[in-house]
Amino acid sequence: MKLIFTGILAGLLAATAAKAEDMVFTSWGGTTQEAQTKSWAEPFAAASGIKVLQDGPTDYGKLKAMVDSGSVNWDVVDVEMDFAIKAAKDGLLEPIDFKAVPKADLDPRFTTDHAVGSFYYSFVLAWNKGAISGEPAGWADMFDEKKFPGKRTFYKWSAPGVIEIALLADGVPADKLYPLDLERAFKKLDTIKSDIVWWGGGAESQQLIASGEAAFGQLWNGRVFALEKDGADVGVSWSQNLTAADVLVVPKGAKNKETAMKFLAAASSAAGQAKFAEASGYAPINTKAKAEMPADAVKSLPDAHVDGQINLDMNYWAENRDAIAERWYAWQAK
Amino acid sequence: MPAGFGGLLPALILVTLFFVVPVLALLLRSVTGPEPGFQNYATLLGDGTYARVFFNTFLVASVVTIVTVLVAFPVAWMLAIMPSALASIVFGVIILSMWTNLLTRTYAWMVLLQRTGVINRTLMDIGLISTPLPLINNLTGVTIGMVYIMLPFMILPLVGTLRAIDPMTLRAAALCGASPFDAFCRILLPLSLPGIAAGGLMVFVMSLGYFVTPALLGGTSNMMLAEMIAQMIQSLLNWGLGSAAAFILLVVTMALYALQLRLVGAGRATGGV
Amino acid sequence: MLLDYDRMGWLRVALLGFTVLVAAFLLLPVVFIVLLSFGSSRWLAFPPPGWTLKWYGELFADPAWLEAALTSARIATITAMLAVLIGLLASFALVRGHFRGREILRGLLLTPMVLPVVVFAIAIYAFFLRLGLGGTTIGFVVAHTVLALPFAVIPIATALEGFDKSIEDAAIVCGASPLEAKLRITLPSIRIGIFSAAIFSFLASWDEVVVAIFMASPTLQTLPVKIWGSLRSDLSPVIAAASSLLVVLTLALMAVTALLRRKFRT
Repeated sequence: MKLIFTGILAGLLAATAAKAEDMVFTSWGGTTQEAQTKSWAEPFAAASGIKVLQDGPTDYGKLKAMVDSGSVNWDVVDVEMDFAIKAAKDGLLEPIDFKAVPKADLDPRFTTDHAVGSFYYSFVLAWNKGAISGEPAGWADMFDEKKFPGKRTFYKWSAPGVIEIALLADGVPADKLYPLDLERAFKKLDTIKSDIVWWGGGAESQQLIASGEAAFGQLWNGRVFALEKDGADVGVSWSQNLTAADVLVVPKGAKNKETAMKFLAAASSAAGQAKFAEASGYAPINTKAKAEMPADAVKSLPDAHVDGQINLDMNYWAENRDAIAERWYAWQAK
Repeated sequence: MPAGFGGLLPALILVTLFFVVPVLALLLRSVTGPEPGFQNYATLLGDGTYARVFFNTFLVASVVTIVTVLVAFPVAWMLAIMPSALASIVFGVIILSMWTNLLTRTYAWMVLLQRTGVINRTLMDIGLISTPLPLINNLTGVTIGMVYIMLPFMILPLVGTLRAIDPMTLRAAALCGASPFDAFCRILLPLSLPGIAAGGLMVFVMSLGYFVTPALLGGTSNMMLAEMIAQMIQSLLNWGLGSAAAFILLVVTMALYALQLRLVGAGRATGGV
Repeated sequence: MLLDYDRMGWLRVALLGFTVLVAAFLLLPVVFIVLLSFGSSRWLAFPPPGWTLKWYGELFADPAWLEAALTSARIATITAMLAVLIGLLASFALVRGHFRGREILRGLLLTPMVLPVVVFAIAIYAFFLRLGLGGTTIGFVVAHTVLALPFAVIPIATALEGFDKSIEDAAIVCGASPLEAKLRITLPSIRIGIFSAAIFSFLASWDEVVVAIFMASPTLQTLPVKIWGSLRSDLSPVIAAASSLLVVLTLALMAVTALLRRKFRT
């Protein structure tokens, strides 16, 4: 029996060997990953001759399992920033080699020892003009069932955003959000719970709004941008837009660490960031990038709406991620 | 080696190495991660939220099984006795639906069942309803989607059971003066019971562990165990807790399975007639 | 006369009506997907504002779809062959063998069908990662064969139980070797069971999504993984176009099967 086992193993192992010079980039799929492929991976491959394989969607469970087992198939992963901070603390990430990745022009808000920014985005309030009467003016309107009856959509997973929105709508001033009063947030959310449709991914949020399944909701600004580009009849309010960032990380034990660092350098460069921002509507994390973008493209970025903008506190979330998640899912299941 | 045992070896090796061992490794993880002990089980069994998920899982599986049996039986009955040309058309439809990708079918239901979907629009156009029915993100959506998937698994074995029943038995009953209702209750139904039990068990256990359809068609308050396990591992990165939940699901399923084996014998329990 | 089609009266009408309804229910999503694939709405509004072929254009422009389909076909074919072969051997042992614990062993072999696939998916994913086998064709085949085995054993064992062994014995009495008798008498008699086994185990792999989501790597994606990814990330009607082609493929396969059957009969 042992012989059979080793025989099978030998066969299996022979099949796993991937080409050493290729690297794997993992992101969330859809229009965002498409833009990342075009703006970063393709130019990088053309310049270096290294093939960048695309994988996704990002799955934190898989990431952890890979690192734990020492068999890491991903080289660069696009993750939410609060996860990156937590993961770095848990020893799941390689430190960034800032000799290979020029740091000078990177926005320090989105750069840590273990991550460089990928892009940053805003949660905005978007609505389908055909499915709603009037224009919601801010987060409080999402909780006003008299003025705006019907379904509304929020981000399904436990992540920075919804809890802050509930608190803002309940009258908490922007500078007093943290530490989050979960009790109060869930109480506020309870008032509209039966009318909430959750979206689990960007495409779903677009579909819900575009089809009118939900009249309005909390969306990533890039997804609204794509809807507008597609000719959908949507309105958007940037009032109290909430910014958060995605960052690029290298999982601990990644097979092509050096290549990964080179890729990070290309992705975070002014040119790569400018190209990506133009394609996606998300904001660049390289301070020199905006200079390389057409003027009208800059206008649709979160940077153009800094008035009343609120930065979600990634460090607070990294610290409390697990505890909030537990309560979040328990509340949802109720 | 006992007579006739050799043929089992390849299957046993495969199942032991690549099924029993990995599942036991997972069990080990539930008592070692993050630290040794049974705290994962204590968390799961001591918390009302998880109890709710367990309850939901059984509720959904039961409802799906009952509806599937009720819908499948008349169809299987017809299929068993129909002229074969007609039957092959229905079989064709069943096979076509089975062969269509599971995800696509579920996705089609998402678009069909939503508030602005075809079904609600049609009903509103006819004037049967004035506001959209909540058909998705709730028990109704999960039931429709899962019954849809389970029907072939119930119909096909049942046809076999019903075909094996000798029509003469029923003719004899009629000759002896039994009413069709009597004949149904006292002959047809009892004779098809093994097939119903077999198919029903298959549907029930498959439903217990279903993941994709409830995740896409159910709401957050109908979460089932399989989805919760995936969430524990993918979002909370809690392999210990996820493994413990997986193990509880495994134990419950195995217990039901063993019970069924006891009741009707292994051959019957799994779809054999 | 509940089992006499011609003498059921009103009951037949009622049951037939119900059967037609259920058939319509089964067809509905399939037909709907095909219609959707020609709709011009990017956001799957139905009825669509217009009709288009552009989703098919996008489908063919992206080689990843074809690659995923071929990967799935390859894995499912190998899986089906392995499952039928292993299942056939096991079924003979289970049906004909005389040894203690036969029922328990049968139960064990069928367990993968009963065990929630998400449990197995997590277990085998963690296990294969440790062995360095995640995301390989062989890893996929092994995992899928475990899952497909019950679907092969059940129909074959059932057919074998229904087969009168004395016919095989008669062949041996008439001079055939035991193997010859099995190959020429028994196997042809249980061919429907074997055929079902092949189809079910092929499908078990072809349509398997949960294990595949965990196991997939950028170099090895099955069709369900590709569809799952699209569903989660872009929801484009390209999914409907791909599914419609699968429907056409299924119809073609079914037609071929029907033709073959007719040919055998005459």
